[in-house]
Amino acid sequence: MITLKDLHIGYKHSVASCSDLIIPEGEVSVLIGKNGSGKSTLLKSITGEIPLLKGDILIDGKSISSFTRKELPFAVAFVPAHFPLVDFLRVEEYIALGRSPHTSFLGRLSPKDKNEVRIAAKSLGIDHLLHRFTSELSDGEKQLSSIARAIVQESKCILLDEPTAFLDYSNKVRVHLALKEIAKELNKTILLSSHDIDLSLEIAESFIVIENASKEISQLINPTKQEILAQAFEIQ
Amino acid sequence: MIVSTRHKWLLLGIVILLPILAWIHLTAGIISIESGTIFDAIFSYDDNNTLQVITREIRIPRMTMAIIAGAGLSIAGLLMQTLFNNPLAGPYVLGINSGASLFVAFSIMTGIPFLTSDLGIVTNALIGAFIFGLIIVLFSELIRSQISLLLVGLMLGSFTSAIVSMLQTVSGAEELKVFTLWALGSLMRVDSAQLPLIVLIFLIGLAMTFLLVKPLNVLVMGQKQAQLMGIHYRRVRILIIFVTALLTGLITAFCGPIAFVGLAVPNLLKLLMKTQNHGVLLIAAALFGAAFVLVCDIIIQLLENSFMVPINVFTSIIGAPIVVLLVLRRLR
Repeated sequence: MITLKDLHIGYKHSVASCSDLIIPEGEVSVLIGKNGSGKSTLLKSITGEIPLLKGDILIDGKSISSFTRKELPFAVAFVPAHFPLVDFLRVEEYIALGRSPHTSFLGRLSPKDKNEVRIAAKSLGIDHLLHRFTSELSDGEKQLSSIARAIVQESKCILLDEPTAFLDYSNKVRVHLALKEIAKELNKTILLSSHDIDLSLEIAESFIVIENASKEISQLINPTKQEILAQAFEIQ
Repeated sequence: MIVSTRHKWLLLGIVILLPILAWIHLTAGIISIESGTIFDAIFSYDDNNTLQVITREIRIPRMTMAIIAGAGLSIAGLLMQTLFNNPLAGPYVLGINSGASLFVAFSIMTGIPFLTSDLGIVTNALIGAFIFGLIIVLFSELIRSQISLLLVGLMLGSFTSAIVSMLQTVSGAEELKVFTLWALGSLMRVDSAQLPLIVLIFLIGLAMTFLLVKPLNVLVMGQKQAQLMGIHYRRVRILIIFVTALLTGLITAFCGPIAFVGLAVPNLLKLLMKTQNHGVLLIAAALFGAAFVLVCDIIIQLLENSFMVPINVFTSIIGAPIVVLLVLRRLR
């Protein structure tokens, strides 16, 4: 569960703000807003990358500013929009990097760690790719690998920055359904930014919308497509 | 990270090959020395026996320096490539050698006895390498493009060599000679008395790299993701630069600038091992790097009868085409 309290976010000047708002656990919430409206800024604020201008963000009731460097990976996992471009990184090795907050000083993987990697890959249907190089994967496979990496990190929340932006329709559906399943099965708080409103409506009830004019972040529960379009894009 | 059987065989192979190469290196050279004499020089040293003296004072230090230079520069190259997320980075290309060269040039040209002593030159080389490492870090904060960072490194190198040339025009004949010989690069300048200090500094650098295995693996995902995984990025970065400067500075101080080892060896290794597991890569870089420079120097020894090739010239002749091939492979 992520709680936003009387929040102002931005770099020097406030980009967006909200009064109190709760992003629930056990389900997927979708962050909607125009390009440049502050979606990424909000995600970066929750991961602690950008300091808050005002207010607070709580994860399971604990302020993100109180997390130490070592505690943070257990609270939040982040899946960036772009996949790291690296040669000779196998899918198995990449997913296993998500275990690094759990491993000892030298980063050696225990049998449990290796097992977690296999389970996560299997649950996303990419276990046949484990020995392939990440540079050979399709965009959809890359995204699923990143999600698997976030799962094995075993954080309370997973944030995803436009995870379906570069995917074809069937992969969009696949990623959306996978995320819904993970949220439910593992009781995680999942927040993803997206422009795929129709697909989002099929898997999510909670929508976090950044209003175009007022830059006010608000929550819509079970909205219609028209309500979202009106609030985020001023399309009637 | 995952260590495959293939990695274990490759590492085992090089572990067996390395002592053989070291032995060939000891026996190669103009004056032929038999294996028995080498054994005696190591285990029952007699300083009246000229061949044993040659083995102890010239051959063994030269072999040790070949191993240290190869291992150290390859590790330094690997560290730079991962830190800057740039397969074409290396201590030479990024100008870290140049930093050491500049400070050594200053210390030799001053003619002040302390600065021209071994310890003075090493200290200056380490400081120079570290400062230039920090300059590169500063530029890496300002520029995002991988190619631009390499250009900055090359410019740093050109700028430094221009300053060194200026220093040469105003320095005395004796200092000029010392510096010119140093700049050619040689594995033969070290004697047995200097060896313990060099080996000690090298082992410290080597030990420190193993503190970096996990951060390096996580850094493969990029700086921001590494920070979210609990890595103290700034601390890790300073430690990487420090280790690189320590190894590069040490080797540059005693062997002169040696090009391309740090760039070519780690890239060849990644092609061969096909992994980003830095536990395996670091061990492999040390072993393969050592083998690479040993082989280069064995060939130099075999050529010594007809003509002398400085080590820096030889590694460039082999290394530069390898790097061009790597670039072509990436652009394809």
